[in-house]
Amino acid sequence: MTEFIQATAFGLLIGGVYALFASGLTLIFGVMKVINIAHGALLILGAFLTFTLWDELGIDPLAAILITTPAMFAFGYLLYLTMIRPLRGAPLSSTVLLTFGLALVFEAAMGLIWGNESRSARPSYFDQSFDVAGIVLPKAQVYACAVAILVLSLLWIFLTRTWAGRAIRAASANTEGASLVGVNIAGVSALTFAVGVATVGAAGSMVSVLYPFLPGSHYIWIARVLSIIVLGGLGSLKGAVVGAALLGLAEVYTQTYISASWATAVPYLLIFIVLFVRPQGLMGTRLREDVAV
Amino acid sequence: MTERILEVLQRRNLWRLVIAAGAIALISYPLLSDDLYYQNMIIISLLFAIGATGLNVIMGYGGYISLGQSAFIGLGAYTVGIGATKVGGDPFVWVPVAGVAAALFAAFLGVIAMRTRGFSFVIITIAALFILQIVAINWDSLTNGTSGITLPLPRWDISIQNWPFYYTLVGLLGASLLLSWWIRRTKIGTGLLAIREDEDKAATIGIDTPVYKIIGFVASAVFLGMAGGVYGYYLSFIDPSGMFDIVISVQIILAVVLGGRGTLWGPVLGAAIIEPLNEVANQNFGGGNSRLLIFGGLLALTILLLPKGIIPSGRELLEGRTRRGRAALVGVRLGPRAALNETPAPVPAPSGRTLLEVDGLEKRFEGVHAVRACSFAVEEGTITGLIGPNGSGKTTVFNLVGGTMRADAGEVRFDDRRIDRLPPWRRAYAGLGRTFQITRIFPGMTVLENVVAPLRSFSWRQLRAGAVSGEETATASGLLEFVGMQEYGDQPAAELSFGQRKLVELAQVLMLDPKLILLDEPAGGINPTLIARIAEIVRELNDRGKTFLIVEHNMPLVLGLCDPVLVLARGSCISSGGPSEIQRDPRVLDAYLGEDFELEQPVGAP
Amino acid sequence: MAEMLSLRGVVAGYGAGDVLQGVDVTVQSESVTCIVGPNGAGKSTVLRAVSGLLRPSAGSIEFKQRDICRSSPAEILSLGISQVPQSDGLFANLTVRENVLMGAYIVRRERKLVERRLAEVGELFPLVSERGEERAGNLSGGQRRQVEFARSLMLDPTLVMLDEPSVGLDPKALKVVAGAFQRMVEAGKTLLVIEQNVRFGLRMATQGVVMESGRVLMEDRADAVLENPEMTDLFFGGTATAAPQAPAKG
Repeated sequence: MTEFIQATAFGLLIGGVYALFASGLTLIFGVMKVINIAHGALLILGAFLTFTLWDELGIDPLAAILITTPAMFAFGYLLYLTMIRPLRGAPLSSTVLLTFGLALVFEAAMGLIWGNESRSARPSYFDQSFDVAGIVLPKAQVYACAVAILVLSLLWIFLTRTWAGRAIRAASANTEGASLVGVNIAGVSALTFAVGVATVGAAGSMVSVLYPFLPGSHYIWIARVLSIIVLGGLGSLKGAVVGAALLGLAEVYTQTYISASWATAVPYLLIFIVLFVRPQGLMGTRLREDVAV
Repeated sequence: MTERILEVLQRRNLWRLVIAAGAIALISYPLLSDDLYYQNMIIISLLFAIGATGLNVIMGYGGYISLGQSAFIGLGAYTVGIGATKVGGDPFVWVPVAGVAAALFAAFLGVIAMRTRGFSFVIITIAALFILQIVAINWDSLTNGTSGITLPLPRWDISIQNWPFYYTLVGLLGASLLLSWWIRRTKIGTGLLAIREDEDKAATIGIDTPVYKIIGFVASAVFLGMAGGVYGYYLSFIDPSGMFDIVISVQIILAVVLGGRGTLWGPVLGAAIIEPLNEVANQNFGGGNSRLLIFGGLLALTILLLPKGIIPSGRELLEGRTRRGRAALVGVRLGPRAALNETPAPVPAPSGRTLLEVDGLEKRFEGVHAVRACSFAVEEGTITGLIGPNGSGKTTVFNLVGGTMRADAGEVRFDDRRIDRLPPWRRAYAGLGRTFQITRIFPGMTVLENVVAPLRSFSWRQLRAGAVSGEETATASGLLEFVGMQEYGDQPAAELSFGQRKLVELAQVLMLDPKLILLDEPAGGINPTLIARIAEIVRELNDRGKTFLIVEHNMPLVLGLCDPVLVLARGSCISSGGPSEIQRDPRVLDAYLGEDFELEQPVGAP
Repeated sequence: MAEMLSLRGVVAGYGAGDVLQGVDVTVQSESVTCIVGPNGAGKSTVLRAVSGLLRPSAGSIEFKQRDICRSSPAEILSLGISQVPQSDGLFANLTVRENVLMGAYIVRRERKLVERRLAEVGELFPLVSERGEERAGNLSGGQRRQVEFARSLMLDPTLVMLDEPSVGLDPKALKVVAGAFQRMVEAGKTLLVIEQNVRFGLRMATQGVVMESGRVLMEDRADAVLENPEMTDLFFGGTATAAPQAPAKG
């Protein structure tokens, strides 16, 4: 029983970080209807930046989000202006292909800059754990999840209590209605993309502590985010959080009760199973384009 | 001088010569040269070309992107590897089995992901690639895991070198091209194109979209699987990372995008460009990251700067210079109509039999109860009108009857059969046709191709039939004459005016030989002459036994053409009767003018 | 009463053919002007031309004696004209309060102003405070319409244009909407309303305009227009202009 509780706790902790990771993609999709396949690579980029800050300057990886988040925000903004905006009128397939190409470019760039060995940031608490009533919770996971929840909360506050956030949500609901009230859709798209990339940068900082990573790791993360989409739908942040939690639990249970190596297959298996049973995704939102007239 | 060059470049025969020369060079190369290095390059190019030609079928024709094509290479390679080492026999014998394995896997993936539109397919293809890799790593009793499978060296005479691999791949490329060419000119091809242009519309003209998509995807996989088997034997070492390599997937996609989606030779051209680049990356930059950088970057750049690809862009450039005045043809007054040249079947008198019955239909969208407890019947042989104010639910009812939307509750019965659970193409087979309020035809095809595209039934044999051929072409041409668009058969549909599109859409629907035709605002947005023509057409068809249900706002048209007239208001049918009755029905007047609305106090001051 | 908005000889369209073929409409201040007409008459196009989404190719549009033909939607907003689009103008995933707040988006920096306006609008539409935290998408049709009206008032516009506010509403909801109009006029607004529901529209209005095929057929006091027998003709059977009579079936 303790094993089960421990696994569940672990899965939820991981799920928190996954939720932060997926939130950026969901946000971007909501406003711009773009699936950013480079999302995983951006995560790893955040991880590498954090690693360098830790390795060279001794900055705690989780604290490093104060630096990586704004840096990734700026990068995201730049990316939007140079790559995404030119494709505004193009069919969705174009952005899928473009971001796929970009993902590989990022992977290559990271390999050239940082090399292809596996890295991991190891702050002091790296291999320590909390013991809570017989359940062992690694400190890194707990801190990471706490920070993830914090960042998600900040994101939530941004989206619900600031004008910019409301503009983003309005544009995602109804682009024409939003421009009628004076929202600058182009500006909002750029902002949304930048925010999306910034959150994934923050998630990257956490990943640098939690998992060993190398440039090629982004594929497993693409699979994770796609599986979260399939589980939770593309429409809402809430869906992303639920999907993330489910994925986290599924991975940890598989790892505990089956084997660690099969655990890497979990995101893919979930994708297959869910799509087989329910082609429109579990929460039914927007995986299947509902019929237009 | 430039004119002359351009003119020469446009000649088909020039390009045929180029292709023929290329083919001869390809086939004779190993016979003339011993250079293994270049032979290797060509072999890899062939692999890319086969992959790209296949991918082109589902992506270029069908518009569905597969990011994981190298899954089939790996699957094919492992089939050959496992077969040859664990079961025995010459690896080449296992190559066809590899093709079958790839085809089955593609069918499996297709069944999972192609029942719906949207992103599921892209997601599944990436997932498939990686999951196969994981299986290959973990199932080591079968695959030897990361140690890989080593195939015994070939046993043929060393002087033959790589010829078996080389020529098998050449053969596979030829087969792949043949398949792609064949698909393009059969109904499968037009079906895929229709799906790419407008999948929902394709469904309403009798195209069983999931089946077509799966066929297209299987076609993209089968030769690639075989090529993968050959490739694995060629390398004689089959391991998870080499065989399920995402970079090869990217290279295949790049070949298609760069060369030109939807063209026959574009993928081959793309592959011929990619492989030298591959070599450059490997030799000068040490492979690995530089490969990724080059190919990922090239993909991104191509999408940004040359999205159409080389061959289509080249064509556009050439045609842009030389096309004169064809556009002027379009938009000219409509041609004369001809009578329907079908042998007039004995037309049954309106039997009073109900052809379409709608019972208790319900449909809600967020916050809006668009259709509520809607019930009405359409009698066979009539031209029935369906009118109602804005927001009364007319178009939603059409969507529910036609099958592009699913009702929350209620039944639709057509020709004594319940159809409300059937997908749109089955309703088309049953004899239901419909036009759209905003006309939908396939802009990427010619007018004739558009009219030939609809299918009255599904049969495997029919799929294999030529797209534009024989009997159907005659019927289609006849229909174009009937609506007066016979001059425009070869015109790209994208260039037609709104009114001309309406006529073509009508001809398309007639191709289904439907019993009931739903016309959604046929008079919308066109001039009176065209309205009169459409009315004429409707009458003639009705005289031959076709039933119509027409949604319209144009009152004079409805009252002059339709009998009976059904009136919808607030999502339900509130009245029906002859045109003169309807005009005098106070409920109808209320619906249009608004129920007698009394204010407690007047608003504002005059 | 002053002339608030006037269109003279406006010709406008979307490429293939002009929807408006010389439209003259005058809107007096602090009144409710209602434009009615059959489908395709060009009523919505008039609103689009005024709100800056469509530029007329001929004619003039003047608001408070100032030419606004070339103004952008944002400029027109700031001049004091706001619009409630036909349907789907609501942000379903935002709360009621957030929806209304978005009406003040272009003045969002002026905190106090926004708060004050929200309070004032809340008085006109109690729904805004009563159900402020609810997701707007969960409201009924009439309630959603009210939210949209409230939103359109946030910038304290002088002229409010409403595109078919009655669509999809049942009679009870219509009464609610009528009440809302009343309160807006009492608060000093001028309303220009497009309506397909002729009786509702003309009973609500002080001034009625009938359009057909891109032209104005009649313009008079609303009750006079409503009583005019040509009105029914317009919607059934004959028309004032020469539309082809499809020959009778037989």
